[in-house]
Amino acid sequence: MEFLRPTSWGEALAAKADAPGAVPIAGGTDVMVELNFDKHRPEALLDLNRVGELATWSEEEDGRLRVGAAVPYARIIGELGGRLPGLAMAARTVGSPQIRNRGTVGGNLGAASPAGDSHPPLLAADAEIEVESAARGTRMIPAGEFYTGVKRSALAPDELIRAFHVRPAEGPQQFSKIGTRNAMVIAVCSFGLALHPSDQRIGTGIGSAAPTPRRAFEAEEYAAGELDWAGRSPLDERVARRFGELAARAAAPIDDVRGTAEYRLHALSVMARRTLTWAWKDYLNGGATACA
Amino acid sequence: MELGAPLDRVEGWDKVAGRARYSGEQRVAGVCHAVAVQAEIAHGEVLAVDATAARAVPGVIDVLAYGDAPALADTSDFELAVLQSPRVAYRGQIVAAVVAETLEIARHAQRLVRVTYDELGHDVELTPDHPGLYRPEKISPDDPPDTGEGEETPAEVSVDVTYETPAFHNNPMEPHATLAVWEGDHLTLYDSTQGAAAQRDALAALLGMPAERVRVVAHHVGGGFGSKGVPPRPNSVLAALCARRVGRPVKLAVTRQQMFSITGYRTPTFQRMRIGASKDGRIADIEHHVIEQTSTAREFAEQSGVVTRMMYAARARRTTHRLARLDVPVNSWMRAPGECPGMYALESAMDELAEACGIDPVELRIRNEPERDPDSGNPFSSRRLVECLRLGAERFGWSSRPEPGTRREGRHLVGMGVAAATYPAAARPAQALARVADDGSFTVSIAAADIGTGARTALTQIAADALGVPVARVRVEIGDSALPYGPLAGGSMGNASWGWAVLRACEGLRDGIARYGGAEPGLECRADTSGEIKNQEAYARHSFGAQFAEVRVDVDSGEIRVPRMLGVFAAGRVMNARLARSQFVGGMVMGLGMALTEESRMDREFGDYLNHDLAQYHVPVNADVLGIDAIWLDDPDPHANPLGGKGIGEIGIVGAAAAIGNAVHNATGHRFRRLPISPPSVIPHLP
Ligand SMILES: Cc1cc2nc3c(=O)[nH]c(=O)nc-3n(C[C@H](O)[C@H](O)[C@H](O)COP(=O)(O)OP(=O)(O)OC[C@H]3O[C@@H](n4cnc5c(N)ncnc54)[C@H](O)[C@@H]3O)c2cc1C
Repeated sequence: MEFLRPTSWGEALAAKADAPGAVPIAGGTDVMVELNFDKHRPEALLDLNRVGELATWSEEEDGRLRVGAAVPYARIIGELGGRLPGLAMAARTVGSPQIRNRGTVGGNLGAASPAGDSHPPLLAADAEIEVESAARGTRMIPAGEFYTGVKRSALAPDELIRAFHVRPAEGPQQFSKIGTRNAMVIAVCSFGLALHPSDQRIGTGIGSAAPTPRRAFEAEEYAAGELDWAGRSPLDERVARRFGELAARAAAPIDDVRGTAEYRLHALSVMARRTLTWAWKDYLNGGATACA
Repeated sequence: MELGAPLDRVEGWDKVAGRARYSGEQRVAGVCHAVAVQAEIAHGEVLAVDATAARAVPGVIDVLAYGDAPALADTSDFELAVLQSPRVAYRGQIVAAVVAETLEIARHAQRLVRVTYDELGHDVELTPDHPGLYRPEKISPDDPPDTGEGEETPAEVSVDVTYETPAFHNNPMEPHATLAVWEGDHLTLYDSTQGAAAQRDALAALLGMPAERVRVVAHHVGGGFGSKGVPPRPNSVLAALCARRVGRPVKLAVTRQQMFSITGYRTPTFQRMRIGASKDGRIADIEHHVIEQTSTAREFAEQSGVVTRMMYAARARRTTHRLARLDVPVNSWMRAPGECPGMYALESAMDELAEACGIDPVELRIRNEPERDPDSGNPFSSRRLVECLRLGAERFGWSSRPEPGTRREGRHLVGMGVAAATYPAAARPAQALARVADDGSFTVSIAAADIGTGARTALTQIAADALGVPVARVRVEIGDSALPYGPLAGGSMGNASWGWAVLRACEGLRDGIARYGGAEPGLECRADTSGEIKNQEAYARHSFGAQFAEVRVDVDSGEIRVPRMLGVFAAGRVMNARLARSQFVGGMVMGLGMALTEESRMDREFGDYLNHDLAQYHVPVNADVLGIDAIWLDDPDPHANPLGGKGIGEIGIVGAAAAIGNAVHNATGHRFRRLPISPPSVIPHLP
């Protein structure tokens, strides 16, 4: 097995174009597990750890944050927690301190597991994924179009993920995850929620309850219409409940060792109801998380 | 420091600095690596092993399979008759092995070995009415499967319920590893085992060699929980066979996933409890009927019903054990075999009885204290269960326990539960040698095992105390079958057995020094406790304890958290407070896993355990362990042994799951009789 170590983004793209079968490795917290279990023998490993820019983030002219694919969870929490509170909440639930030091959002996207914890907050916050190939240049893929199947994504074989772009939170965000224990656990199911007060909209993301992470459109539209954005009146319990039901309806879970489909639907409705309740309470208290 | 003091582990620095070598880390020149090929069917016969492709890989030294593997002298235990027959008794059984220059090459070639089978169809699922249920001749370790005494009488209050526990896997931190080195006709095995001497004797018998030609070394062992006990696991045998075959030292490291089929686990159980009592809670009749599985490869009958034979007073008492022989991996010891699952059932049923009688569960247990051991009729050497219950109730704030299903705090239902704990306190014969070293310090040798318990440290304290010198002047050598005989670390009797011999050897040496008039280098004393143990008085020797738990059940998601647990133990004299605490708390954490997160799921179609790694088999993590505390009574038991200790390695897990289950009942008002109690199982029963 070859071990490729590009030192710049251009070199990395060229290497990927030369060897589309090469498996990129960022934190390695998914890749090394698969190698250890001998799931595949890739022809080459493409180590991205020397491509320094992938581990940086910046503020773009369009007001969005551009976060390099290889910024680890620990830094998302520490450096961007104020502006990306939903993603930071999710990041805090990932694995253990060791995994949060090594693991990256780019790797989570690359793996595209329906249970990946980054996905619900990225969906809820309308993130876009910046991918690039030597042959065709850059594409921006909305998170909602990125996930195409169980552990499959819209990434072409010669493309690499460079960054994700997302607006800093302009309203409260929440993330909720259920597992069979309190840490080091793959989600039984998860739910991300973001309020977008300026366009009076709600974003959602469902994790681990369908072949891909996905949004709950019907729930989003329903709640956006029912919430009293301008008058800021308290959330009607019935609206929260209905929102939960609609969120669960968007899912298509299965039974597996981690949980039953029935339980996942129940838990999703609970998490959706709760996250909306919490987020709306924050909003009434001043919608504080706007642009820290 | 005196006996009982919280001395740090004497090898602690070696462990954190990586100097302590575990079996798989031993280095010898010319070592090669073996990897086992495991059966892909659960029942049948190997027709052929095609190793052509594997042998063609550069670096592959040899491939062993039935038909060409070295023969064993004793094949009576099928599980250990590795590669001696074509029969496949369970999925994951070792059917071949690849030996190569590196581990990577061996793993690669392992995948190229093609095994064809005659598949016979399998039966891997234990059910309470399995048609093959039979009564074993005896249950572990050597007890009758059934007991019965007294006449059943009509009861004013009765409980008749069945509890169900799943299979559990031991999962010590260090996976099993062996380095086998043949020098002429001598075999040295660096092996992760709970007992170097027992392992030596077993291997020598299998290989048809005198025990003097086999040496087993296990200086450091990263946990066992029974999975590294005797009989040996097949991986040790395989390592010895591979090394003999290739004529070079062979290292064989079992992977975490392989551990789920070849290193043992706890049987699932169905346990029916029938208790009849008077209205004031006094037990008239008690019955405990156990249904478990065993493998066709080797019988193991877990003694889950024994606790009901000795725990409470009753006029009539019946216990039975029935097994189904299945095409499953070999189940075996796991921390507190028998007592752990048995007390889950008994102590849950006692809680149900308390509720049925309208009596506080602590009081109910106190009312049923027996005067003597109901099983043997002997007096208890000491039995301070009532004190444990009372002290625990006071410390835990038991009086604020709510009526079932009535305390709601925010989105949580809150409840408290209690359960009693017990574990036998035995000792086995051992030998030790104490001598004055050249520099005037003291060396004490015994083939004891420190499997992470801190035994080496406790023995150092015992020796220093007996010699009347500081611990810094004593070095204890253990973990080598070449040392004076010591039994294995198991049954919570390691420290009692080894400590006794160490005590006698050190006392003798101290006398010798006094007679001689000084600590002359070379002075030594050897002790053997077999005579003393044979002549021990007839007492029923057991540790006791009381477990308290508080749970919070999320009314919407069904998630269960355990903010507080308290264990109060009367487990004899404690030799080292720090180590004891970690044993008690560790056992309680394992009980927490048993109650809420751990479960080995049988794959009916393929016939093996499905969730076979730590990502899927959920032992508790730090974030699950909130406020667990353990305290103990000052409890030297003069009838237990001269040190007064009773053993502390297992009692911490006993009763812990029942206390949590009882707390879940108290929180929710609903009784869950199947472990683990999971959110999906709880949800339908919440308000
Ligand atoms: C003990 C443990 C606990 C875990 N707990 C969690 C958890 O709680 N929640 C969770 O979501 N995940 C968890 N994971 C999985 C893993 O940590 C995450 O998916 C993590 O985000 C992966 O990031 P990484 O940088 O380590 O990815 P890597 O392992 O380096 O890569 C993952 C995948 O992405 C591809 N890839 C990486 N970078 C790029 C790129 N720039 N362009 C294209 N493809 C790329 C790789 O080829 C590979 O397919 C856990 C893993 C372990 C071992």
